[in-house]
Amino acid sequence: MKKLICSLVFILIGLFTVDRAGGLMMRWVGEHTNDVLGPKLRYLHHDIHEEVVLMGASRCHHHYLPSVLSDTLGMSVYNAGVGGSDNIFSHFIVLCHILERYTPKVICLEVMHTDYCQQEDAFTVLSYFAPLYGNSEAADSVYRLAGKYWQYQVSHLYRYNAKAASNLVGLVLNRQKDNDQGYIPLPKPNQCPQQLAVEQARHDVDSLKIEYLQRFIDLCRDRQICLVFTVSPKYTLVDADHYQVLRELAQKNQVPMLDYHTTGLYHDQPAYFKDITHLWDKGARLYSAVFASDLKHIVQEY
Amino acid sequence: MLFNSIAFLLFFPIVCVLYFAIPVARVWARNMLLLVASYYFYMNWEPAYALLLMTSTVVTYLAALGISFYQEKSKKKLFLISSLVLNLSILFLFKYYNFLSENVEWMLQRSGLSMDLPEFSLLLPVGISFYTFQALGYSIDVYRGTTPVERNFATYALFVSFFPQLVAGPIERSNNLLPQFKQQHRFDYEGVMAGIRLMVWGYFMKLVLADRCGVYVDAIFNNVDMHNGGSYWLASLLFPFQIYGDFAGYSLIAIGVARVLGFRLMENFRRPYFACSIGEFWHRWHISLSTWFKDYVYIPLGGNRVGHLRQYVNLLVTFVVSGIWHGANWTFFCWGCLHGVLLCIEKAIGIGKQQYTGIRKFCHWLVTFILVCVAWILFRANHLHDAMAVITGLFCKIGVPDISFAMFTDLCLAALAIGILLLKELSEEFHWNLKVAESRYWLVRHSYIVVMTAMILLLGVLGGDQFIYFQF
Repeated sequence: MKKLICSLVFILIGLFTVDRAGGLMMRWVGEHTNDVLGPKLRYLHHDIHEEVVLMGASRCHHHYLPSVLSDTLGMSVYNAGVGGSDNIFSHFIVLCHILERYTPKVICLEVMHTDYCQQEDAFTVLSYFAPLYGNSEAADSVYRLAGKYWQYQVSHLYRYNAKAASNLVGLVLNRQKDNDQGYIPLPKPNQCPQQLAVEQARHDVDSLKIEYLQRFIDLCRDRQICLVFTVSPKYTLVDADHYQVLRELAQKNQVPMLDYHTTGLYHDQPAYFKDITHLWDKGARLYSAVFASDLKHIVQEY
Repeated sequence: MLFNSIAFLLFFPIVCVLYFAIPVARVWARNMLLLVASYYFYMNWEPAYALLLMTSTVVTYLAALGISFYQEKSKKKLFLISSLVLNLSILFLFKYYNFLSENVEWMLQRSGLSMDLPEFSLLLPVGISFYTFQALGYSIDVYRGTTPVERNFATYALFVSFFPQLVAGPIERSNNLLPQFKQQHRFDYEGVMAGIRLMVWGYFMKLVLADRCGVYVDAIFNNVDMHNGGSYWLASLLFPFQIYGDFAGYSLIAIGVARVLGFRLMENFRRPYFACSIGEFWHRWHISLSTWFKDYVYIPLGGNRVGHLRQYVNLLVTFVVSGIWHGANWTFFCWGCLHGVLLCIEKAIGIGKQQYTGIRKFCHWLVTFILVCVAWILFRANHLHDAMAVITGLFCKIGVPDISFAMFTDLCLAALAIGILLLKELSEEFHWNLKVAESRYWLVRHSYIVVMTAMILLLGVLGGDQFIYFQF
């Protein structure tokens, strides 16, 4: 038994040492990688200072050109959208980290049904932001909710699990060359979407997500940030009440909501879309100009 | 409870501590602990299914008592047949009934008749095929007189439900495992450490190798029409490693867990992709199942003791049954058929009877590997028409594989894991002196555990994915 205890102690000490050293190494990799997410997390943590911040998932990441918005608004703009981070829990984490650094003047949140509807595993995507764990108490509380708190507390290596490979590959391949303040363009597709599909409204509302949406709004209100909900174009048809849940929440909290999906912007221009959910660079440039002009009115009235 | 869950990582040390805390001489107390732990482990999926496990246990236990009690062969046979019928009926009901009713409905529809057969909507109980076969093997062994009847119900119930191998094997034999439940297992340091090393390697195979390969494989096989031949080639090449990592990984964890507790389970995989013939492949792949089919299906059918034609029929029947054992889908039926046909061809032309060397060995290995990979397409495809689309698409839909950047990074990790696997297996197959896990140096053996665990933490898919073989 003594031998086993010696072995287990050696393994635990060895594992602790390798874990901490590996965590430091992966942090260095995250800070030097030219992948997509690593540099964005680095920027959010160390450098973000812009007056206008755009937040959301891939539809935010690929739809809003900060340079176009900046020209129209006369303000500095950063696109903090993260592909795959498709629900309010991840947006809440990003907001907490931003607010740890400074208070932006305007935050535009690209919303979608996954921000308030039930998902099979709503917490999986939180792992993208795990490298920032430990820097914001409010953000870390979401990991506690997700049951990831102790895993991240115990293992530093595990914090880098979600994007370890892409961060390492990003040391060799540069995916940042077309970066425009966090915006990465989507390439022109071989084939544009062919038919407008009809999208049904979702009514399986997740009360926890609604609670976090409210918290998001409250945090912005407390800091006197002008919060705007936006829904960028999609190549699908929806009824007028498709985003009713979000609209009601926005109205209740006096948050302006710009919905270009329900109004059918670009439904006559399938060539602007990469797929039914995303605009490619051409569509994104044109849309950014439209959005910038509408946002300017809101900001002026605020 | 999955091996790759936090719950198991807490459950297992607790069971170990309690197990070794009980004095060695109290074998019955240790067995009771393991029995309770095994049922707790199983009931974590769905408590109600423990009733099926218990039913199978009681039926085979009583049947074996009946077999041993009577001297007349006819009465022994009656008990055996009752046990077979009852166990296979449960298996059929849960696993094959819906498949059969769907096909009967389809056939009736084709012949102008319409009939709605009732549907059985319960989920397939985890591991039902494994524990049913293990319990049936015991009944047959008692009938044949190759194993003594077990009169202690708790010991027998533990044999059927022993948690390390309950849900995905290895399918143990009564004459190997049952006697071990009667032995006094003293704490064995070397055995515990060897078990931990096996577990670590098993976790690596599952979480890094299989699950990283699975990201790409699933993307292609779940949307076959959307992809081109290049993607089919890549997915078809990765799936053999995914299924191997997944299943052999599970087996290694199971063997390791049992080893820590002092039990020795049978080897289930022996570097199967180094086989130089299909026959040899089946001596290396899922050994516990292939030997089960050999002993309880192929040999009773006549085995090699009959004429050539009958031997081929026996082989085909055995492999078709083996295919269907994996699941109620025509893809598994065809996968079993293909392996059966390939074995018949090998037998007819005499492949596998002599030892090859040099270039001939390489050619045999290459052909075997390609044939196994083609057969895996049938196994992995969701439907038969998907399998056909992939096989024809390999040659007709030529194109560069569709790889997004996220996929590319997963593929890099899969390639790294495959490289590590190949290095380990090549060194074992060709007796290179590259023993790291089993090094004679204490520091190397322990560092291996540390480094592999760190790799799993950093590179593994830690979302708690199911093991593929659980669905069987």
